Amino acid sequence: MLVLTRRKGESIIIGDDIRVYVVDVKGKQVRLGIEAPPHAPVHREEVYRIIQLENQYAAREAPLDLNQASSVWKEEKEGGKDEN
Amino acid sequence: MKTETNLKFRPVDEEQKIKLKTTRFGEIEVPRENVIHMPGGVLGFPGYKDYILVPHKENSPFLWYQSLDDPALAFVVINALIVKPDYDVPISSALVEGLSAGRIEELELLAIVTIPKDRPQDMTANLLGPIVINPAKRLAKQIVLDPERYSTKTLILPQKK
Repeated sequence: MLVLTRRKGESIIIGDDIRVYVVDVKGKQVRLGIEAPPHAPVHREEVYRIIQLENQYAAREAPLDLNQASSVWKEEKEGGKDEN
Repeated sequence: MKTETNLKFRPVDEEQKIKLKTTRFGEIEVPRENVIHMPGGVLGFPGYKDYILVPHKENSPFLWYQSLDDPALAFVVINALIVKPDYDVPISSALVEGLSAGRIEELELLAIVTIPKDRPQDMTANLLGPIVINPAKRLAKQIVLDPERYSTKTLILPQKK
């Protein structure tokens, strides 16, 4: 991993079109400003990972058919059982 | 003359449909224009960029979001507004533009549903990472919202005590 030291107000450039600024440094917190094109979405890593994991779990648990799920849904929402 | 006309049209029809192998529905044919492209993929599945929406059946709120690249990969999705009618998602003008839409109103929000095996009652919707879709242009993107406001595991049905 490349490690660089930057001060408040300084920035780094990644590739041709991604720029990361150090906006502020206060105690243990660093505020970063990021300019990136749409093809390079920026996320807080921990949030990104949570969604990644949930997607993988959802795909793994996806049933072979949805009849049971939709019949539970119907019971709750409409008070009527699904015929299938 | 009639036969000629038929011959003219048939190859065009066939060209517009694509055959697709799926684990859940066997081999299906879908119009090419129904294919939804996700340049960024579903998070965690970066290589899978093309999907089709297959409605489950009449009176069911669920749809399948079936990958074109992997017959076994399919997500269950639901219109996010069914789960949370006041779902308020900040959508940037860059995203509207990125999905080739003119206005926010052209976009729809889908939530991926997790249905735990043998516990369908506990199904949850991922409202933290909805899929924003432009149905007219067949473009979609999974976005990341504020974890202080939304969860990946929003219960869809009331819990039985």
